[in-house]
Formats: sequence, structure tokens, C-alpha cells
Amino acid sequence: MYLDETRQILTDTLFLGARGAALDADSPLLGALPELDSMAVVTLLAAFEEHFGFMVDDDEISASTFETLGSLAAFVAAKAAAMPGR
Amino acid sequence: MSRAPARPRAEPLFLASARGPLFAIHHGPAGPARQALLYVHPFGDEMNRSRRMAALAARRMADAGVAVLQLDLYGCGDSAGEFADARWDIWLDDLATARAWLHARSGVAPGLWGLRLGALLALDFARRAAAPPRLLLWQPVTSGAAYLTQFLRLLSAGEMLREQHARGAQALRAALAGGETLEVGGYVLAPQLAAAIDTLDAGAMAPAAPVDWFALAPGERALTPAIERLVAAWRDAGTPVTLHALREPAFWDSQELIDCPALLDATVAALHEPSHV
Repeated sequence: MYLDETRQILTDTLFLGARGAALDADSPLLGALPELDSMAVVTLLAAFEEHFGFMVDDDEISASTFETLGSLAAFVAAKAAAMPGR
Repeated sequence: MSRAPARPRAEPLFLASARGPLFAIHHGPAGPARQALLYVHPFGDEMNRSRRMAALAARRMADAGVAVLQLDLYGCGDSAGEFADARWDIWLDDLATARAWLHARSGVAPGLWGLRLGALLALDFARRAAAPPRLLLWQPVTSGAAYLTQFLRLLSAGEMLREQHARGAQALRAALAGGETLEVGGYVLAPQLAAAIDTLDAGAMAPAAPVDWFALAPGERALTPAIERLVAAWRDAGTPVTLHALREPAFWDSQELIDCPALLDATVAALHEPSHV
């Protein structure tokens, strides 16, 4: 479930269109998507925070978080699971 | 066949200010101006990425009889000064200078049209104005502190992507508080400017004039609970707010050129409404 939402938000935020829909859990992101620069990372984190209602500390993320769609979705799932009231 | 009178060409010009010339583009209507609007641009890369949409909207507004002035604030775009020397109070002065020019030129008291941090600047200007201007707000930044955190995160994210040790937003804030100047995404951010932005909270800035608020999101959630709470608080404080929720992408974040026709249509339609109050 988080894989789909992560893919959707990534696609909307980076304007990936059909390329976004084709991403699966093993698809590489960092280095494979030219759109994924530092500004895009900021926009993406803000979109996750707004959509899911959690806050990300900068020391929670590293380049490996953005390695594949699966690693990013796993990060989102872990953040969502750690939210109070869940 | 009758033809509508041609709208004059957009006119680039420089306004004199105490700190040097300010670049602006005037989009004049074909006949007398029904209304006038001063455009307040967003911050950093968002300014560059939104130039096209701002120009498209300004032309549409001019066609609808609205005189528009697109101003480059001090230290931004083609105006005098370096970004490192930009200060919030200087920008408020710039808006007063440009608004006076547009008032004299158009013959009507100009409202303010702001995007993102420009909308927050317009709000801050409006609450200090003797005769508060009407406001058009495109996806306004509502918390200066949250915005500053995101802006500083650009630096953290850049360090992270280069696999360097990333300084978190808290460490960067501490550096600013200690008087350090930070370079973020090519912009040299002065601690004074960061401190001014950090204190701004739109929730405490209910305008005394009508507001049209345009909320954009690519999905179905343009109106977030946070926006709805804030607008409810403004209405309780007596501000007439018209909310426009649009399914449009965040064009100010995009490296691609994106048209947002629904935003242009909704904005021009809002200008046709008589300014309530």
C-alpha cells in the first residue's frame, strides 16, 4: 500500500508521468532519475509530510533512502507506523 | 468585424529606490485600468521556475483590464543588490515604492498578488498599510519557520546526495543564529533575512481586506486541513476569504514548463468579481 502511495507522490512531485507508473520496488531512483536533485528531495519530503502527517528529521535520511522505490516506500512505511495513534 | 483594442506591449522599466534601481515589467490594459495588481514573486529557485506562469497570468489580467506590475525585489532577478544583502524590511519598502508607481500610472489603488513566500510578504505588507490592499494569494507560505526549515533542507539534501555528512536543519538554524551566512542552492542567505522569515505566521496576520486564496495540488487534496483551519480563523477575525481549490501541479517547483490553465482562468474570473466590502 505504501509502495503505491509512494509511487504516486513521487510521480506527481517529479512530474514523471508514464515513467512513474512503470516504477516497481526494485527500480533505482537516485542516479536513475535526472529529476531527483536536492530541490526535488526537499519537495518530495514536504509532500510526504503533508500527505501522511509525519515529520522527517534530516538525520533520518541518507542517500540509501532514495536508492530504489522500494527503499523509499519502506522509509515512508516506517515513518507512518511510528506516528502516534497508529 | 470589430476587434478588441490591442493590449500594449509589456513594458520593462526600472524604478528608482533608495538602494538602487528595481527592475519591473508593466503589463498595461488597452483602455483605462479597472483594477491594478502588484505581483510579489517567490523566493530563490521558485522565483525563476514561476516566471513563465506569472507572465502568462499578467497578460491574461491585462487583457481583462487589470494593470499589472511584476517587480523584482532588491537582490533578486535584475534589480540592484546581491541576494546576500536582501532584507525583509527592504522588500517591504520595495513593495511600497512599486505600489506607489503603479497607483500613479493606473489611477487605481493596486492590490497585491503574491506567490508562495511572495504571498507571505504581501500579507505582511497589507497588515502595515494604512488602506489595506485586496490580496490574491497563490499557494501562500503560511509558516515562515516551516518554510525556512524546508529551504535549509535544500542544503542538507545536497550534502546528503553528495554523500557528505549532512548538517540537519537544527544545526543550520544554530549556525544562522550565531550570525553565520549560509549558501543554500546558490543563494547566500543572510542571518537577518532568515530570522525575519522565521517569525512570520500567516495565522496571526488576518488581512483587513478581501482575499482570494488559490490552493493547488496535483491530486485531490488541495485544501489541506491546515489551510481550512487558517482560513476559518481569518474569517472569524472578519476577513472575507474566497477559497479556490484547484487540481494543478506545483509549477513553482518544476524544472519543466507547465501551464496551469485552470489557475489562470480562476484568477481572471476572481478579478471580475466586484471586490467585496
